[in-house]
Amino acid sequence: MQNFKVSFYPDKKSVEVPQDTTILSAAIQAGLQINSACGGDGVCGKCRVLLRKGKALVQPTGTLSEIEKQKGFILSCTSAVQGDLEVEVPVESRLDFTRSGPRYFSSPEESEPAEALVSDEFFEYSPLTEKIYLELPRPTIEDNASDLERLYRQVRLCKNTPILQTSLYNLKQLGEMLRDADWKITVTLARRNDSLEVLFIEPGDLSRKNHGLAFDIGTTTISGELVDLKTKKILATKTAYNRQATFGSDVIARIIHAQKESGLEELHEALTDTMNEIIAELASEHNISLNEVTCVLCAGNTTMIHLLLSIDPTHIRKVPYIPTANSVPTIRATEADIHIHPRGLLACAPGVASYVGGDITSGILSSGLYKEDSLSILIDIGTNGEIALGNRDFIVSCAASAGPAFEGSGLTCGMRASGGAIQKVRIDPAGDRVDYDVIAGTPPVGICGSGYIDILAQMLKAGLIDRAGKISAGERRRIRHSELGKEFVLAFKEESLTAADIVINESDIDNLKRAKAAIYSATSVLARHMRVDLADIRKFFIAGGFGNYLDIENALFIGLLPDLSRERFVFIGNSSLAGAREMLLSAAARKQAEEIAGKVTYFELSTDAAYMDEYMAALFFPHTDLSRFPGVKF
Amino acid sequence: MALQLATEKWSGEISEVIIGATKDEGGSRKSVVRIGGENTLPFLFNEGKIPNPVCVAFEVWDTAPSDWPECLWRAFGKSLNDSLSWAKKCVEEYKAKILCVRLQSAHPDFADTPPEACAKFIAGLLNAVDVPLVIIGCGDDAKDNLVLPAVSEAAKGERCLIGSAVQDNYKTLVAALSADGHNIIAESPIDINIAKQLNILISDTGFALSRIVINPTIGALGYGLEYAYSIMERARLAALSGDKTVASPFICFVGQEAWKAKEAKSEDERQGIIWEMLSAAALIQAGAGLLVMRHPVAVEKVNKYIERLFQR
Repeated sequence: MQNFKVSFYPDKKSVEVPQDTTILSAAIQAGLQINSACGGDGVCGKCRVLLRKGKALVQPTGTLSEIEKQKGFILSCTSAVQGDLEVEVPVESRLDFTRSGPRYFSSPEESEPAEALVSDEFFEYSPLTEKIYLELPRPTIEDNASDLERLYRQVRLCKNTPILQTSLYNLKQLGEMLRDADWKITVTLARRNDSLEVLFIEPGDLSRKNHGLAFDIGTTTISGELVDLKTKKILATKTAYNRQATFGSDVIARIIHAQKESGLEELHEALTDTMNEIIAELASEHNISLNEVTCVLCAGNTTMIHLLLSIDPTHIRKVPYIPTANSVPTIRATEADIHIHPRGLLACAPGVASYVGGDITSGILSSGLYKEDSLSILIDIGTNGEIALGNRDFIVSCAASAGPAFEGSGLTCGMRASGGAIQKVRIDPAGDRVDYDVIAGTPPVGICGSGYIDILAQMLKAGLIDRAGKISAGERRRIRHSELGKEFVLAFKEESLTAADIVINESDIDNLKRAKAAIYSATSVLARHMRVDLADIRKFFIAGGFGNYLDIENALFIGLLPDLSRERFVFIGNSSLAGAREMLLSAAARKQAEEIAGKVTYFELSTDAAYMDEYMAALFFPHTDLSRFPGVKF
Repeated sequence: MALQLATEKWSGEISEVIIGATKDEGGSRKSVVRIGGENTLPFLFNEGKIPNPVCVAFEVWDTAPSDWPECLWRAFGKSLNDSLSWAKKCVEEYKAKILCVRLQSAHPDFADTPPEACAKFIAGLLNAVDVPLVIIGCGDDAKDNLVLPAVSEAAKGERCLIGSAVQDNYKTLVAALSADGHNIIAESPIDINIAKQLNILISDTGFALSRIVINPTIGALGYGLEYAYSIMERARLAALSGDKTVASPFICFVGQEAWKAKEAKSEDERQGIIWEMLSAAALIQAGAGLLVMRHPVAVEKVNKYIERLFQR
C-alpha cells in the first residue's frame, strides 16, 4: 500500500502514513493532541481540521455547517488520507494542554499539595517499601549461616514479620556485595500482606534515600505526589492532563477505543507516558535518581486501572458490567511500564465495581466518612462525579458522569488548577469591572473549575446571564458575539499571558450547566434512593481538583451543591490523591481501604427512572424547582 | 347510604388569561375570550371552580396553505387563497369566537414577507374581523424577532396572544409584548422542565406569569398524543399543588398535528376530520384551554362536545 505525507500546520509537523489512514490517526502519530470527545466516531465534531492541500476521502457529516464545509473544514476522524496532505489544526480542535505552548506540567509551587483531613499520624507508619540499614556480623566457623540466612536473621531482629521471598538476581550478587561492602548494607523491604520481600540490597547506608509516589489517575487529570518515605514529607505535587483524552473524553469512549486494533496499547502508552513524565520531572527537580523511587500507589477509577495494567476493559461496558479485577495485587512497576527502580512496586487502591473505583475508596479513606457516626456525603467533582453516602455502618455510592468541565477540559479557555489559572472571580453588578485571582500570581492563562463556578454565580447575580445560562445582557465592552454564541470577556489580551482574550461563551456555560446538573441530580437521587433527606446529612465532603480554593457559597448559588447551611460543607481538595498517599505510607490505611471497598455498595443511577427527570430539572440555575434553593435570591 | 365521592382540595389555581380587548378596554374587539382560571382537574366540577369552557380557535394563514390536504381545501373552497375572506368565513359562517393567524409568508423559505407588510396585514385583519386574535410567527427565530415586534405594535391595545417564545429565543418577543400589552405563548418541546424554566425566564424579565399561555407541544392521535397528555397532566398537578411557575393555561395546536398524520390524508374525507376531533377530545381531557383547529366540521363537533361536557 502506498504511503503519503501528511503535514500539520501551524506546528509544521509531518508524518508518513499508509493510504486510508484517518487524519486523526496521522495527527496522533505526529504527536499532536486533537480534541476527539467521541473517540473518532464522527459524531462530536470536535476534531475538525482545515484541509489546505491534497486529497482526502471525506465522509458526509452533519456536525459541520455548509459554510464550514465550503471553507474546507473536515472531520479528521472520518477523513481518510488519499494523497500528500497539508492540514491546518485550528486552536479549538486541540486538546487544552497544547493550545498555548508548554503548559503541560505545572511547576511544583503551582500545584497545591492535596490536603488530607486525616493526618498521617492517624494510621501507623508502615510504608509500602522501607529501607533499613544493617551491619551484619561477619561469618565465622562457629557462626556459619549462609549469606542469605545471615541477612534474613538480621532483618528479623528489627522486623517482626516473616520474610516471604527474594529474587535470584539478589542471591547471585549477594555474596560478592556483602564482602565488598564490608557487611554494611541497605536492604529495601516490601510489605506484601503479612510478610516481607527483600526487594534489593545495596552497599552502604542509603536508608534515607527512599521515595514513593502517590497517584490519582483520573479520566481527565492525573496528579502525582512525590513522598519521602523516610520522613513522610510530601516533596511536590504535579498534575497533567491524561493524554488518553485524544481517544475520547470519558471512560466509555476509552473502552470502545481499547477494543480497536492496538487500541489497548495506545491507551496504556498514553497513560504511562503521562505518569512517567510526571515521575521523571518530580525526581529530577528534587535531584532524586529514579532508582531511589521504590514504589508507586495508584488510586484511579476501574477503567483507568485496567488500562494502566493493560488489562482489556471490554466487559466493564457490557451488561452486567464486570471488571476483570476490582482489587489488583501489588506488582512490579516495570510490568506496567512505570519507570522507577526496576524492582520497585506498584500497588492500586482497591475498587468496588466497574463504575466505583479505587479513587472513590481512596477518597472515602482520606475524608474519614467511613468512621462518622452521622450521615455524610462525599462528592467528587470530577469527570465521573462519584458520590458516596454513608457513615460507619454503611456506604453506598454512585457515579454521575459529569464530564470534564470542572476540570477545565472542553471549555474555550479552560485549564487545570495550576499556574496561570483564574481561580477566583468577582464581577461588579454592572458587569464592567472584573477582579480575579490567578494561581501563582502570574497574568492569567485560562480559567479553572473554581474560577468557572465563581464566574457563573457572579454573572447570574449581575444579571448577565439568565437562569438557562444564556447571556442576556446586551452588547457592551465585555460582551460580544462569537461563533459559539455570545461571550463575556474576563480578561482582555493586554492583561493575559497568552496575548489572547480570556472569555467564557454560551457553549461553555452550557457544558458547565450539564456538569453541575449531573452532580446535583445524582446527589439528590442517591439520597432519595436511600430514603434520606438531604437536610439530614451532617457533612458534605467536597473533593475535586480545584487547587486550594472553592467558594462553597457560589457552588451552591449555581445549584451544584444543595442549599444547606454552609458549615456542613468541607472542601477537601483531591481526596483520592490524599488517600493514595495514606496508603503509600501505611499498611493500616491499605487494610482500611480494603475494608471500605468491601463495605461500599453501588447504586446504578441509570436504573432509576427518576434520574433523567431530575437531571433535566437541574439544567437551570439554580434549579427548575426553586423551592429547593430558598437561600438563592437573584 | 348515599355514595360519598372523595374530593380533593388543591392549593393552586391556573391563571386566567384574557385574549382580546373591547372598546372599553382600549381595543376594538366585540368580545373577549377567557381561558384558564380553574382550581381543579378537568371536569371535576364538584371539587372546585372551572369558570371558562375550553375554546376552539380557527387556524388562518396569511398566505394560501399550499401544503394542506385536499380535504381542507374542499371545506373552505377558494377562500383559502385570500386570507381576509378566509378569516371572515370562519367568523361569519362558522361562528369562530377567536382566530389563530399564522404569519407563514414571512418565512424565508416562503415569500419572506417583510415585517412592515406583516404588520399591515394584521392591522387589516383586525379591521376585517372583530374577534380576538392569536398570532403565530413563521417559525424562523431570526425572522420572527423582526416580524413579531412589528406585529405586536400594530396590534397594540388589542390584547392578542402572540408567540412563540422558546427557551433560546424569548427576550425580543417578551420585550415587545410587554410594551404593547399582549399575552405570550411559551413553547416547550414536550418537556415539563423546559416549560417551567421558560415561564421562570419570562417572568424573570418582569413579564407577568398571569399573561403566559403554555404551548406544551403535542402529537396527534397515534403520533405521541399520550406523551403530550402525560406532560400536560403532570404540569397541571404541579400547578394545582401550588407551583405558580407552571400555573398557565395550555394552547394546543391540534389541527397542525392531526392533519400531518398519514391517516388524515385518506381518500375518505371523514377520516381526517375524525383524527382532528379525537386528538382534540383527548387534549381537552388533559386540560387544554385553547385548541387551534382547521376543519370546520371537526371544530363544529368539538364545540358540541365541549358544550355537553360543560353542561351542568
